[in-house]
Amino acid sequence: MKAYEWARERTGLDQIWTALMERKIPEARGWVGLLYTLGSATMMIFTVQAVTGFLLATNYVPSPDHAYDSVRYIDSQVLFGRVVRGLHHWGATFMVVFAVLHMMRVYFMGSYKYPREATWMAGVGLLLLVLGFSFTGYLLPWDQKAYWATVVGTTIAGTTPFVGAMIADILRGSDGMGPRP
Amino acid sequence: MSGPDGCGCAGKGCTEKTPEEIGRRAFLTRTIVALSAVITAALSTTGLGYFVSPAFQRRDEDWVDLGRAGDFKAGAPRLVEFTQRKRDAWVTSERRSAAWVVTSDGKTFTAFDPRCTHLGCPYRWDAGSSRFICPCHTAVFGPDGKVLSGPAPRPLDQYQTKLEGSRLAILPKAEQIT
Ligand code: HEM
Ligand code: FES
Repeated sequence: MKAYEWARERTGLDQIWTALMERKIPEARGWVGLLYTLGSATMMIFTVQAVTGFLLATNYVPSPDHAYDSVRYIDSQVLFGRVVRGLHHWGATFMVVFAVLHMMRVYFMGSYKYPREATWMAGVGLLLLVLGFSFTGYLLPWDQKAYWATVVGTTIAGTTPFVGAMIADILRGSDGMGPRP
Repeated sequence: MSGPDGCGCAGKGCTEKTPEEIGRRAFLTRTIVALSAVITAALSTTGLGYFVSPAFQRRDEDWVDLGRAGDFKAGAPRLVEFTQRKRDAWVTSERRSAAWVVTSDGKTFTAFDPRCTHLGCPYRWDAGSSRFICPCHTAVFGPDGKVLSGPAPRPLDQYQTKLEGSRLAILPKAEQIT
């Protein structure tokens, strides 16, 4: 407890606790109150993604000739590798789901209105980041699904008027898929 | 404390609480903290195990076959070159290396790392004097690997050997003999 008191006086622990656990919400009856937890749920998943992502990165190799094998290695040989990969896989899916649900709650409750327009705009930026991570992460295992998703995704980007070809080249890092033969 | 937040009962207003009773808010807080602790513990154990597992990995013993034991003649050390295949995760790599194999009776075998213990030059066997001689700074070793003269700080490093039936195998990991 002494250590806690020491840290409490010197850091913002109390404020963090208050901000996270004692946030005031409008009076809500029954299950409606739960809707206010969707943002925190998204944040919780984000934490899990950051930690498991870091762990996966200690074994994953981001190159076309090792990506697939290193993912199989994580799955089949690393201790808890399947669990860590599974958490990250499902976390990625549910982070999108929860971010969107959270945004819907903000929208339908009108929480984006004055004085929270800037919060809404920040939220839009975060949602785009989430979708970006979700797509790029999907490509990393470099299996068939990832390969063809990359083909489709970069081709869609390539249909942008005028600069499309350039954008596609930048995204692919080359004028084709994978290492040049 | 009184009022809806501190009240342990539902519906028809509040009753006084005895000291052991906890309110709804405190109960929920404790439950959330406890559940979070359990989840955090489960996730951190998993993550920590994953992270530190390389330190506790079982490593393959990479024994290398050097051919028939009978081909090694007493008193005639021979440099055997071999290619070692190693698997690490999904990568198989080949390493070419060599060993000096010595036997005095054709039954027990010693294998030396082919690098001089002074600064790593490849030494050779001098049949005339029955010694290993290093060309770099004239270190001289006996057939048992002991330093006879020169700047080498310790005897020749050895590889573990074993007989598999009639064949000789070594574990090409240099072990210092002091
Ligand atoms: C990375 C994804 C996101 C995380 C981690 C996150 C986190 C949070 C958290 C913890 C809250 C507290 C209130 C609550 O949970 O309802 C919150 C509020 C809010 N979020 Fe998000 N959010 C994310 C994405 C978004 C998106 C996509 C939008 C909308 C475009 C958005 C708009 C808002 C707004 C307007 C509030 C204030 C709501 C209020 O005060 O009632 N957020 N966010
Ligand atoms: S390296 Fe052999 S004597 Fe110096």
